Amino acid sequence: MLVLLCLTWGLAESAARADSGYQLGHGYDLGPFNLAGYSNLVGNLPTSGTKSLALEDLSLFVTGHLGRFFNPFTEAELTDFDLVRSGPTGPDHGDGDFVLERLYNDSYLTDAATLRIGKMLTPVGEWNQIHAAPLVLTTVRPAVTERNFSEYATGVSALYSDPFSKFPDIQVYWQPASEFSERPSTITFHQYKQVEGAHVSFPIGLLDMVGVSFQQSRDVQGVDQSLFGADFHYTLGKVTLQGEGTVSALSRPPAVHIHNTEWGAYAAASYAFTDKWSAYSWYEGFGDRSSPSPADDLLFGVAYRPQPPMVFRVEYLQNFGGPPVNPTGVFASWAVLF
Amino acid sequence: MTRLHLAIAIVAGLLFANSAKAAGLLIIANPSVVSPAPLTLSQIAAIYLLRVTAWPDGSHIVPVNRDATSETRAEFTADVLQADDASLAAYWNEMHYMGKLPPVVQESEQAMLAFIRNVPGSIGYISASTAPAGVKVLAHVP
Repeated sequence: MLVLLCLTWGLAESAARADSGYQLGHGYDLGPFNLAGYSNLVGNLPTSGTKSLALEDLSLFVTGHLGRFFNPFTEAELTDFDLVRSGPTGPDHGDGDFVLERLYNDSYLTDAATLRIGKMLTPVGEWNQIHAAPLVLTTVRPAVTERNFSEYATGVSALYSDPFSKFPDIQVYWQPASEFSERPSTITFHQYKQVEGAHVSFPIGLLDMVGVSFQQSRDVQGVDQSLFGADFHYTLGKVTLQGEGTVSALSRPPAVHIHNTEWGAYAAASYAFTDKWSAYSWYEGFGDRSSPSPADDLLFGVAYRPQPPMVFRVEYLQNFGGPPVNPTGVFASWAVLF
Repeated sequence: MTRLHLAIAIVAGLLFANSAKAAGLLIIANPSVVSPAPLTLSQIAAIYLLRVTAWPDGSHIVPVNRDATSETRAEFTADVLQADDASLAAYWNEMHYMGKLPPVVQESEQAMLAFIRNVPGSIGYISASTAPAGVKVLAHVP
């Protein structure tokens, strides 16, 4: 593990040395393949529970371009690995898990239409699609961006993306059976057998968009779930606003579920003082299917981004209502896209 | 005399800067690229924003950018991509994570020309005052 951390640090140190052929965030080109990844080292200091210094993610992904119809992509990662830990251990123990995040092939049928086959991230909101720590807003992930839906689909997907952004981007996907290389139950909230859905995104700028999501799924307990969601990202000078909301109807609540719905929403704002320094905050309400009352969380923090692929963050989260879905405490992270 | 020299230097500098700006950019590609020319600004932007990833014959497009401190890149970013550097960096990082490779970076016009000459499918840009030796010109951005 130390070797991997040293490797990450070494890559970061060589960041600006373009003449070496390597640039931080661009990965290594090996013929038609590109090898890249990201790391996320996190200090967790909740007011109660386990305190840890953890390698939350060490991810490697490979992109290949072998022609119009053969563009393979795969991502695998080591996740949730505690380097130092104190206090009582949680249910996942922080011992680390190897996970196959994605394994698919893209066939570019036209400039606008792509056929994807394999294991992929589902487009329920923007955060799930770009959930790598160096790319997202905060260290602590709002619950609504990862709970209440299947984050993955193993099957087939059709994507439409107008080259000139004159029409909305559309993705539909279908998983007919179980998730390929299913993640262990210790690092996922629900395991799904069948998943199908769609996402429509209306681009309003380079990074700005408004999107709507639908997902129909059946989990391993046989519960049918229908989700509707919306998300947005909007930049106004130095201020960036983003958010997401979902609501799911559950077919029949099993004994462990209290409610036949699950819902959540977060809204975030960030302000860029300079190209490198920014402050941010989000508020989230989340009504878990198994909790008697919804959780309310407020987070604020600061980020230092010495260069685009690397970010340091320190943030504080306060839970002030309902059983917490994220714990109250201080969280700090160092994330690098390499 | 010193003030006169200084004034002449300033005027000459301004004239040179204006003439360089007036020259614009040449959009260049590897000679093997089969593409209808001239490309429009929208088509060039779609390539650099990774919304078009293959040439009409199906071969993979390799977009090439200049380094962040380059004045040519600043001109290209403002005139063609019409976005700020921070937003573009964030956008390209997101695209990379989603399986689309961001533009390769070259640190000089000569390095750009050499890369474009040698890599099939590549597309880049140089100042219009630089001779496009050994490459195909796909457009002139005034």
